Amino acid sequence: MIPFSRREFLKKIYRVVVAAGAAPLLSFDELLAAESGERPRQRPNLVWLQGASCSGCSISLLNIEQITVLDLLTQFSRLLYHPNLAQATGDQVGELLSALADGDEPYILVLEGGIPAAMPHACMLDHQPLGKWVSRLAAGASACLAAGTCAVSGGVAAMPGTLTGVISLAEHLAKEGIKTPLINLPACPMKPEHLVYTLLHFMRHQNLPETDGRRRPSRFFSYTIHQRCPRYAFFQEQNFARHIWEDGCLLELGCQGPVTYNDCPSTGYNGNSNYCLRAGHPCIGCASELFPRPVIYHLYDDPRVREGLLQGETITFNRKAQGDGE
Amino acid sequence: MEGHLKIETRVEDGIITQAQVAGLLFRGLEKALIGYDARVAQQVTQRVCGVCPYSHAEAAALALEDAMGIRPNTNGQLLRNLITGAYLVHDSLLHFYQLSALDFIDIEAVLAYKGTDPVLGTVRQWVREELGSSRIFPGAPFLPRYRNDDQMQGDADSLLLVRNYFSNFTLLAELQKMVAIFGGKAPHPVAIEAGGVTTRPTLGMLAQYRTLLRRAEAFVLGPYREDIFSVCRAFPHYFQEGRGYGNLLSFPFMPEADGDNHLFTGGALLNGEHQPLDLGAISEDHTYAFYRQESGAALPPLGTKRLTPLNWQEFQREEQQKGGKYSWSRAPRYHGEVMEVGAAARIVNSYHQGGNQVLRELVGHTNRELGITLADYNSVMGRHLSRYLSAALIIGRLKEQVEMVEDGVLGFEEREVPRNARGVGITEASRGALGHWLETDEAGLIKNYELVVPSTWNFGPKDAEGKPGAVEKMLLGTRISNPEQPLEAARIARSADPCIACSVH
Repeated sequence: MIPFSRREFLKKIYRVVVAAGAAPLLSFDELLAAESGERPRQRPNLVWLQGASCSGCSISLLNIEQITVLDLLTQFSRLLYHPNLAQATGDQVGELLSALADGDEPYILVLEGGIPAAMPHACMLDHQPLGKWVSRLAAGASACLAAGTCAVSGGVAAMPGTLTGVISLAEHLAKEGIKTPLINLPACPMKPEHLVYTLLHFMRHQNLPETDGRRRPSRFFSYTIHQRCPRYAFFQEQNFARHIWEDGCLLELGCQGPVTYNDCPSTGYNGNSNYCLRAGHPCIGCASELFPRPVIYHLYDDPRVREGLLQGETITFNRKAQGDGE
Repeated sequence: MEGHLKIETRVEDGIITQAQVAGLLFRGLEKALIGYDARVAQQVTQRVCGVCPYSHAEAAALALEDAMGIRPNTNGQLLRNLITGAYLVHDSLLHFYQLSALDFIDIEAVLAYKGTDPVLGTVRQWVREELGSSRIFPGAPFLPRYRNDDQMQGDADSLLLVRNYFSNFTLLAELQKMVAIFGGKAPHPVAIEAGGVTTRPTLGMLAQYRTLLRRAEAFVLGPYREDIFSVCRAFPHYFQEGRGYGNLLSFPFMPEADGDNHLFTGGALLNGEHQPLDLGAISEDHTYAFYRQESGAALPPLGTKRLTPLNWQEFQREEQQKGGKYSWSRAPRYHGEVMEVGAAARIVNSYHQGGNQVLRELVGHTNRELGITLADYNSVMGRHLSRYLSAALIIGRLKEQVEMVEDGVLGFEEREVPRNARGVGITEASRGALGHWLETDEAGLIKNYELVVPSTWNFGPKDAEGKPGAVEKMLLGTRISNPEQPLEAARIARSADPCIACSVH
C-alpha cells in the first residue's frame, strides 16, 4: 500500500509547480482532473546521458525540495538510465541504451554536458563517441532536454581555448537533421525546479511548455537577472558599488546580470536559500550563452579595465556605466 | 562506470591478472584558462567537478591568495570552512549511500519486508509493481545490476540501509543548503574568492546553518555510523580486498580561524615511512595518456603550457595497439611513486602526524570496536570507514567554528590580481589531495595553470616505468567469482570514489 493518498501526492507535486512559479498555468484542480481523467497517468521514461560535463546538474536535481527524490524516482518518472544513479555497470549500459534506441518504448532524453564535435574521442561511452549515442537516442525520443549551460551552449566545456570543439545539443540535432522537440534549461548548475516543471508539464499536457526564441521555458527565462535584481533601484539612481561590501549596483564589479536570463532573483538556488547576488557576489552569468567570460568579477578600479586589456562586452558595458555615472 | 570511467581486466583462474583503468572524457580546461583573468579560475575550475566544486574553488582561491601574499581574515577563514566542511560531509554521504551501498545489498530483499515504515512500504510497493510489470527495464535505475551471492540479504541491517538510501536524499539537499547559505549556491558556490568569502554573515544565516548542522550531525553520528559499521561487520573480508601500494598522500584541510592547525594534517606515507609534505616531489607522467609526447614524460606542475591531445586516427591506433596509450588521465607521481589519496590517506596520515587528539581517539576507539588496525585502512572497507570518520570529525569542527563567526562582519578583502606571480593552493577534496598551481603574466592574466586532482592520483594509468596506477594495483590479484558480473572489481573501484570529470579535467 502506498502510505499516502493520491490527493496528498498530487498536492506535493502541486507545491513544486507553485514553487517553480507555474501556478497560473497548471492549477491543482487541473492536476486532479488529469489524475481522474480517462487518460492513465503517464510516468515519463527518462534516459540521462552525460557528455562533456561535471555531473553538477545531476547533483542539482537531487536538491529538489518540494517533492522527495523517492517520489521523483518511483511516482512520477521512470529513470531508466543515469550514469551516477543507475546500478547498470559495464556492458549492461550499452545493452540497455541500445534496447531503448531500437525499441518502441517512449522516453525523454536528458543530456547533461556538451558534445565534443571536433574530437569525438574526447567523450566515449561503451566504445562509441557520445555524439553517436545522442543521435541514436534523440531520434527516437519524444523530447530532448538540454540540462544545464554546457548542453545548452557549451558552457565551460566550449570556452575559447578548449580544443574539443564542444557543441550544444541544439547544434548537434541540427547538424544531424534530427527534428525531436528540444527544451533548453540553461544555468550552471541547472535549477532542479526547471526540469521538474518541464516534466510535469509534459505529463499533464503531453507536450512541452511554451518557450522563447532560444527554446527556454518562458516561465523562467523571460527576464534578465538585472531586470529583477534587488539592487535595480541603485542602478536607476546610478549608484554603483565600488566594493563588494557596499550598497549599490554591482555593474562596475563585473556583474553579468544584464546579459543573463534566469529567475534567480525570485526563486534563488537550493530551495531559495541563496543565490550569487544575495551572497554579495556579482552575477557570473552562468545561464548565459557567453559563459564563462574572459573576466568575471574584478575590482572597480582594475587598471587593466581602463587599459583595455580585458576585452569583452562586460568591460565595454562597465566603462559605459562608469562614464554615465561620472 | 560513473559515466566516463572504463575498467578492463583480464581474469585468469578467477584472479585479476591485468587491469587497465581509463578516463574517457577530455575537456582540457586548465590550459584553456590561459589568457583569462586570474579570478576566472575559481569559477571555471570548480566546474571541473559538480560533486566537489567547493574544493576547486578553495584551491583556486588559495593559489591566488598565495600569489597575492594574503590570507583571509578570521571570518573569511571560518566561513570558508563552513562551506567546504558541509560540502565534504555531503559528498561522503552521497558516496556511501547513492554510489556504493547498493553494491552491498540486494534492493529486491525489500519485498520480504513486513513492517509499517512508510518509506520501506513505498519502496516495497514500487519494487513489487515494477518486477510484476511488463515494462522495459523493470526496477530502473536500481536494476539491472551485477549480482553476487556475497551480498547482505533481507535482514534488518540491509533494510535499514535501503531506508537510509532514500532518507539520505533529504540530508544531501540540506547539506547543499548549508553550502549555499554562505557560498551562494550549490553546486558551484560563487562566494569563495581570493581574499575570503563575499557573503556577509547575519544572525539569521548562522541560526539556519546551526539548525541544519544539528540535523546533519544526528544523521552522520546515527544512521550513517550504524550503516557503515554494519557493512564493515557483514563484510570483514573487505578489509583485505582492494589493497593498494600503501603509499598515502594527503594535504592539510580545515584550519583554525587563523589558517593554521588543520584538522587534517598533510603528509605522505611512502614505503612505510611518514614524511612531511614535499610539493616539489610531484610530477605527472603522460606515457599512457592520450597526448603527444612533446617533452619528457614526467613534468612538474606548470612544466608545460601545452598538452596536445591525440587526433581521432592516433587515438584509434593507440587503442588498438597492444601496450598503447589508454586513458585521458595522466599519471601523477610523488618522488616517482604511485600514491593513493582520499579519506583513508587523510585519516592515516593525520593519525601519524599526531597533532589532533580528537582524531586519534576516534580512530583508536573505532579500531578497537571493529577489531582492525591502521594497516587495514588500505582496503575497500577502510576507505568507506575513513569517509565516515572524516565526516564525523568535520561535523565536530563545524560545530565549534559556527559559534566563532562574528555576525555582520565581512570576511573578505579585495586585492589586485598580481602580475608576473606564481601561487599554489592545496586542500583536500572529498576524494583526496587537490592542488592548483597558477602563474600570471605581466597583465595579471593567467599565463599557465595546472590542476593535480585526487582522481588523477587514484585512477591514473601506468607510467613510463610500467608501474600500474593506484586503482589498477588495487584490482590486481582480486578473486572474481563470476567474470560476467565482476562485482568485486566494481566494489574496489567505487571504494576509491571515481570522478573522471575531475581526473582528466
